[in-house]
Amino acid sequence: MIRRRSNASGRSPRPVRPLGRLRSALGAGVLRPGRLWEERPLRRHYDVVIIGGGIHGLATAYYLAKDHGVQDVAVLESQYIGFGGSGRNTAIVRANQRTQENVPLYDEGLKLWPILTDELDFNLMFHNCGNLNLAHSEAAVAAFRLSINTAGFCGVRLELLDARQCGELVPALDVSDRPAHPIQAGMYHPPGGVVRHDAVVWGLARGANLHGAAIHQGVEVRGIDTEGGRVTGVRTNAGRIGCRKLGIMAGGYAPAVAAMLDIELPLNPLTIQAMVTQPLKPFLHHVVSSGAYDVYANQTLKGEIATGAHMDPQVNYTTDVTARYFKHQAEALTDFMPCLRGVRFLRVWAGLADMTPDMAPILDGNFAHDGLYLDAGWGYFGFKSGPVAGKYMAEFMARGEAPEILKPFALSRFLENRYMGETAVAMKYGQWD
Amino acid sequence: MTFRLTCPVCGKRDVYEFTYGGPERGPRPAEGDAAERADPGAAAEAHFRWAQFRMNRPDPREEWWYHGAGCGVWFSTWRDPATNREARPGGAETSGNEASGGDSS
Repeated sequence: MIRRRSNASGRSPRPVRPLGRLRSALGAGVLRPGRLWEERPLRRHYDVVIIGGGIHGLATAYYLAKDHGVQDVAVLESQYIGFGGSGRNTAIVRANQRTQENVPLYDEGLKLWPILTDELDFNLMFHNCGNLNLAHSEAAVAAFRLSINTAGFCGVRLELLDARQCGELVPALDVSDRPAHPIQAGMYHPPGGVVRHDAVVWGLARGANLHGAAIHQGVEVRGIDTEGGRVTGVRTNAGRIGCRKLGIMAGGYAPAVAAMLDIELPLNPLTIQAMVTQPLKPFLHHVVSSGAYDVYANQTLKGEIATGAHMDPQVNYTTDVTARYFKHQAEALTDFMPCLRGVRFLRVWAGLADMTPDMAPILDGNFAHDGLYLDAGWGYFGFKSGPVAGKYMAEFMARGEAPEILKPFALSRFLENRYMGETAVAMKYGQWD
Repeated sequence: MTFRLTCPVCGKRDVYEFTYGGPERGPRPAEGDAAERADPGAAAEAHFRWAQFRMNRPDPREEWWYHGAGCGVWFSTWRDPATNREARPGGAETSGNEASGGDSS
């Protein structure tokens, strides 16, 4: 028996189509008023268990249930869904990465946002306002040329602008010689933009649940059981849960989860900080980023300037923030966007990014134990890649064989000296910095 | 929140005076022609594992730090990634570290 959302609030119940039929067939759960997904009793065994109720885990569950007929799926989240990186990122999406293995994946991910908005019947607030990366040196301009050629090769729109054109596109930029690092050129990526990250979490949770997946919040995995080279289940604060296949999709916490199986990974969880200013009238209509200033910034629909980029180099599982970066952010932002002088910061927060040495993710399966799958190492690209990673990880988990597009991302590349060279990104990190 | 590290020369200093040098990862594995001949492929793999693969448990571990903005010494110390604070060798968080992290001298 399924309780429908109560109509007592005066609002009419949201029509659920065409997934409503599926829900009644699956039954067993309770959809409480105001909730987007059913609460189901935690069972002792699932075909597939996914560790991490963020965008990657929820998207994988969604596609497993929707496209591969695997509905016996449980997503285990130790806190609440979207608690980790999914709710802490700065919501920027783009497909202007550096290497020809990465660009097609991010490009498909970028094209998924409007499709998902339709499919999930949930407004993800995709705003393809375009991204402008700034170069402040000849070396940075050369790196832009490489990216632009890769993008052209992969069919992604990416253009080189000179400083004057940057100023025409974003009048708030100071394109004169006054800033400490004068703007030399820009790399303009019109199809990129921002997506409301909470909406993605909620929409995917609702979609996954409607198609049959179970979402369990407050269930913390404390150990992983294996037997005869196979994953057999997880030990949690709510008891043991058996499974045939296990996906580690825990974002920044992935290295700690893998360590439960004594698996060493080329992954370093680092704390990354972000902040927003007080709301301002709309003036910044693009996502702007700068490697030299170590800053990216965009104006949210509420008018705040959301900005970030800072990482302390030491491995760190806390989400603490530091006054040092608050100061840096203010100095850097106001140097190339002087109109922001005197504007106040309202909030600052931090999340975790799991960094690989080559800045590209690790997408692998059956690599240490049969039935063990890993979707990690996205660093600070985990948000923009979430749904597309879930789509292909679902295919991987359902068939047991890596889809062609994921094969270059296997863990073994780090043992074969085949690093991907995505390091041409805005931020500096790690002990080699 | 920022914290302080204990430099063996200068004492407790703000962590931003230091450069992180990564965890203590044991001796560098044998490499070169002799090692490669002894077990083809294994020496390279051992090197990649030593250079990049980490067991990043949220537990205290030994790390290398460089006091670049101070005396310029490299030293090893213990820190807990779960709390991002200095820890006693082999385990527990050092007492009084909370207080020292709080006062900004």
